[in-house]
Amino acid sequence: MNLAVDTPWLLAGLLLTVLPLFNNGLRLTAMPWLTMIPADGVSLAIALLLRLIAMSAIAGLVLGLAGLHRTEQSVERIGQGAHIVLLLDRSSSMDNTFAGLAASGKVDETKATAARRLLTAFVAQRKNDLIGVAEYSTSPLFVIPLTENRQAVQAAIAATATPALSFTHVSKGLGMALSFFQEQPLTGSRIVVLVSDGAAAIDSDDEQKLRQWFKQQQVRLYWIFLRTAGSPGIFDKPQDSRDDNAQAMPERYLHQFFSSLDTPYQAFEAESPHALANAISDINRLENLPLQYVERIPKQDLSAVCYMLATLLVTLLLGIKCVEIKR
Amino acid sequence: MKILNTLRMHYQTGCLFVALIALLVLWLRPVTLQKRPVYNVTIIVDITRSMNATDYQVNDQAISRLEYVKKTLRQLITQLPCESTVGLGLFTERRSTLLFEPLDVCQSYAEIDAALSHIDWRMAWAADSNIAKGLLSTVDMLQKSGSAIIFITDGQEAPPINSSYHTDFSALKGKVNGMIIGAGGLQAVPIPKFDQQGKAVGFYAQDDVPHRSTFGQSNLDPSQIEGYNARNAPFGSSAAKGTEHLTALHETYLQQLAAESGLTYARLTDLETLQHNLQSPSFALEKPVLADARWQPALLALMMLVCVYWPRCLSLRK
Repeated sequence: MNLAVDTPWLLAGLLLTVLPLFNNGLRLTAMPWLTMIPADGVSLAIALLLRLIAMSAIAGLVLGLAGLHRTEQSVERIGQGAHIVLLLDRSSSMDNTFAGLAASGKVDETKATAARRLLTAFVAQRKNDLIGVAEYSTSPLFVIPLTENRQAVQAAIAATATPALSFTHVSKGLGMALSFFQEQPLTGSRIVVLVSDGAAAIDSDDEQKLRQWFKQQQVRLYWIFLRTAGSPGIFDKPQDSRDDNAQAMPERYLHQFFSSLDTPYQAFEAESPHALANAISDINRLENLPLQYVERIPKQDLSAVCYMLATLLVTLLLGIKCVEIKR
Repeated sequence: MKILNTLRMHYQTGCLFVALIALLVLWLRPVTLQKRPVYNVTIIVDITRSMNATDYQVNDQAISRLEYVKKTLRQLITQLPCESTVGLGLFTERRSTLLFEPLDVCQSYAEIDAALSHIDWRMAWAADSNIAKGLLSTVDMLQKSGSAIIFITDGQEAPPINSSYHTDFSALKGKVNGMIIGAGGLQAVPIPKFDQQGKAVGFYAQDDVPHRSTFGQSNLDPSQIEGYNARNAPFGSSAAKGTEHLTALHETYLQQLAAESGLTYARLTDLETLQHNLQSPSFALEKPVLADARWQPALLALMMLVCVYWPRCLSLRK
């Protein structure tokens, strides 16, 4: 019960509650000799009650005016969910269509559009999670910190509809995504969902750092690879052994690097919006570890209660006034 | 006299009656419609290198243009009325990118604030700074969003533009409301240089930056160009010298861009001026919002109760 008011100085008005102590609000009736009136317990009690009612009515009005409310409360709960950072590729190739699509009469959905649509649905499904958004192209972009604010996450996903940027620099992006967990308590699962359509070679310095960070932060990684027509997949083996290097087949090598991390990792190669939807529902199913999360109970306005109290008491006082003896 | 007496006899009843009526009004009409300005803006921040130039002062300490812009914007979002929405984007190279679509400043304050505080020049995905093209792409990107643009830049084109390749805003002029905000001082200052780890390593020197555009056809008269060769050296053979390694707010250029794109121009000096500039009718929508009106009848009821219980010894009418 943390109570607070919007305008504290109005609380000075509470001083007015002492007024009924000096004036009981009743009509004075002339009596020849006061000593003649016998002491009466019931009368005294009623007089006291009348003052209390009046004082409460005044207090109610003042508190209502000052805007009494219960402050925002946070309650710790245990639920199912995760801390998820969506790491989105903003490289320009995301504006191409999927590999696995047969040439149909329909207008093909670009990879970015499909990803946006399905991620929006994914975010809407995950009720208890904290979700953050990071993006990367040549450099990482901090977008939305880990938050329960779904609107903000959706606004960030919607903003990826704007034209994409330049190239893919995945290691910086991963570094940015991992930095999101730095100031978060370790509870539930921590996930980075990398949504990209390409890969880039990671140099050994970055590899080492990423390895260390993934381990330190205990982050699991999901890679949703949106394959473009004509480009090699994650699981493809080179036909020519001379092509078996990180420059020629970055996807394969990035996958190998991720698999070698000391952290649970899963790759999904999505060749169509349908496969992408499957990958996302897989993640949705897998990531339901017990999570300690904080539920916010928003600020509750109590001024209506105060005004209601005042209304009832004033009605009562007026009622009493009407049964006063009139002489 | 008799009337006055009756009035005195019954004033308590009267006051209580008025108080009760007031309280009934309070429940019947708890809110009123009030017109209040709300904003829908998308802020685009220039994160090119010249924004690192330190020509703003805060508490006697020089801070960079970008830091100052971030600081002012973070203050600004605390001042905007609720129901205003703010989107955020970054500009570098030839275009801007949107980080998120406009969000309610009250409901998503923490997220907007975090995103603003994380803006960094290292987010730039490419190093050029072609503001005219960037502005064009921004206007194009946001023309259907209904959001007003606030484009914050220092107007430093890098490399300098070739005036024969002028960006044409005519197709988009007047489609979008907005304002170009010029950040920086009018005195030219050096641009800090950073190494790969982000450590400051001095400033850009004259030889570090191109001083003219060498793209396309030269805008100069061939006979005036030393070592001119139409194919191999359309800009001549001598290295251009200039002051492009220094940066100052290019106000006239930004004013010209603003005029061409149908935006307004203002200079970023402090929060108050920025807020004042935002208060133009093209930004602020007068939107009816529900305002709590209960205080009026409640105050009347309180005054009535005070009248009823005012101590007799302090009575104004003895």
